Amino acid sequence: MKINQISPNTLLIILGDTISKETHHKVQIVNSFLNSKDDSGIIEIIPSYTTVLVIYDILIYDFLTLQNYINSSIDFQNSIQFDDEIITVDVYYGLEVGFDLERIANINNVAIQDIIEIHSNKIYDIYSIGFLPGFGFLGDVDKKIATPRLNTPRKKVPQGSVAIADKQTAIYPSDSPGGWNIIGQTTKKLFFKNNPLDSITPLSVGKKIKFNPISKEKFLDQGGIL
Amino acid sequence: MSFEILNNPPLSTIQDNGRFGLMHLGITNSGAMDMMSYTFANHLLNNKLNTNCIEIYHGNLTIKVNNNTTIALTGAQCNISINSIAIQSWRTHKVQQGDIIKIGSIQKGLIVYLCVKNGFSTPFTLNSYTTTVKEQIGGVEGRKLKKGDILNFPSSNFLPIQKIQTKYIPKYPDTIELRVMLSYQHHNFSNQEKEKFFLHEYTLSNEINRMGYKLYGEKITSDIDGIISEGITFGSIQIPKDGQPIILLKEHQTIGGYPKIGVVLDVDCYKLAQARPNTKIRFKEISFEEATKISKRFLKSFSSLKV
Repeated sequence: MKINQISPNTLLIILGDTISKETHHKVQIVNSFLNSKDDSGIIEIIPSYTTVLVIYDILIYDFLTLQNYINSSIDFQNSIQFDDEIITVDVYYGLEVGFDLERIANINNVAIQDIIEIHSNKIYDIYSIGFLPGFGFLGDVDKKIATPRLNTPRKKVPQGSVAIADKQTAIYPSDSPGGWNIIGQTTKKLFFKNNPLDSITPLSVGKKIKFNPISKEKFLDQGGIL
Repeated sequence: MSFEILNNPPLSTIQDNGRFGLMHLGITNSGAMDMMSYTFANHLLNNKLNTNCIEIYHGNLTIKVNNNTTIALTGAQCNISINSIAIQSWRTHKVQQGDIIKIGSIQKGLIVYLCVKNGFSTPFTLNSYTTTVKEQIGGVEGRKLKKGDILNFPSSNFLPIQKIQTKYIPKYPDTIELRVMLSYQHHNFSNQEKEKFFLHEYTLSNEINRMGYKLYGEKITSDIDGIISEGITFGSIQIPKDGQPIILLKEHQTIGGYPKIGVVLDVDCYKLAQARPNTKIRFKEISFEEATKISKRFLKSFSSLKV
């Protein structure tokens, strides 16, 4: 663990150089420790693949105090059980909503049916949330279907689109510009701005996601629009 | 008690000091772009520090006053009138039922702040009154203000006139200096690249918005194309592949994968927020110790306005 000062009110905790289960586990340990403090001096805790960014109140903390405190309090040997709830997301992987299925098939020389099977056969970790409110960065996508971003991002990716960028996958929680490869769509809502603070999104770093392929009929039944 | 918006301004929104504690869900801080002017406006009315206001980006907002109150105006140099009579900014004004407040075109700077005593009664959404248009959260229906909007506010007696001393009023010069702490990926920029960055003058492009301001000038190259996405803080200086710095401001994305050479001191970001395209920009290195002193001094100077 390395703790770097970033600005007067910000420090970055670095827990590894590469994306791995081991680093993800360390990120969870640091994230849950900092959140358990319920400390008014800590303003933001932003976990990502290999780091946790902490923004603090400079009238309460200084860098050295916080650095020493974190260094002396975190025990990576401690085998903590995290909330590893698996969230199931029904997806209609049809060509009408999976705009880039053919592109992925061509680039990777794999059949569309296989893309669907490979993508939905895995349970993904939520590594980070960002880019848009409730946009989870999930991994790792099997390399057989990993596909680079589009050269030109779309001006509007529809809400609920399920997408791949390299070895990451995600669900667009709202309409947004975006350059990821779209492979299907879900009617599951992932961002509720009018909910209480603790239920704005069902996603949190450490939870897992499983995609469940559904038929066009079921998608329409669930409120999907084609 | 209310104001009515009479035109469709370019980008006027309700802002307070920001929406905090939700960046881990992808929700940005947002808040007033120029915290200095915003805070002075609340100071003039003896409002609490985080009282919401109208942030009038690019000027051009016309308001009809439906009930008597006291307003404070700060920020950019601008033609402002009440009932077609020119008035001064950086002070309070009594406004009466039927008055028309017109914030016209801006001469110097970019953003005007208008506060009322005790703020507007817009919904408090996810910890804040701040509007973030890209997230459609906060303010009036998560959007910029438009013709016909009614902004309610609590009633108050007229307050005595207060003015900010001239020495505190910014001049909005054509060249500004931004103090920078080297941090984040600065090790991935060679000493030669860092020297270039501090030696050359940059120009503010017209690609500016509440997320960030893009500069152009001497190209800066990093040893790396990108990084594994990590959390972003206010003032971060991203160097994308084209080598032209982007300084991330109040509505910055919460995480990102571009290399960052460092962070601009917060109080200098407020200055940058008011800079118009073509403003010349120079960077100067500052230590964390010195930067911390300056940031603390800013926060403490308004400590009489406790949240």
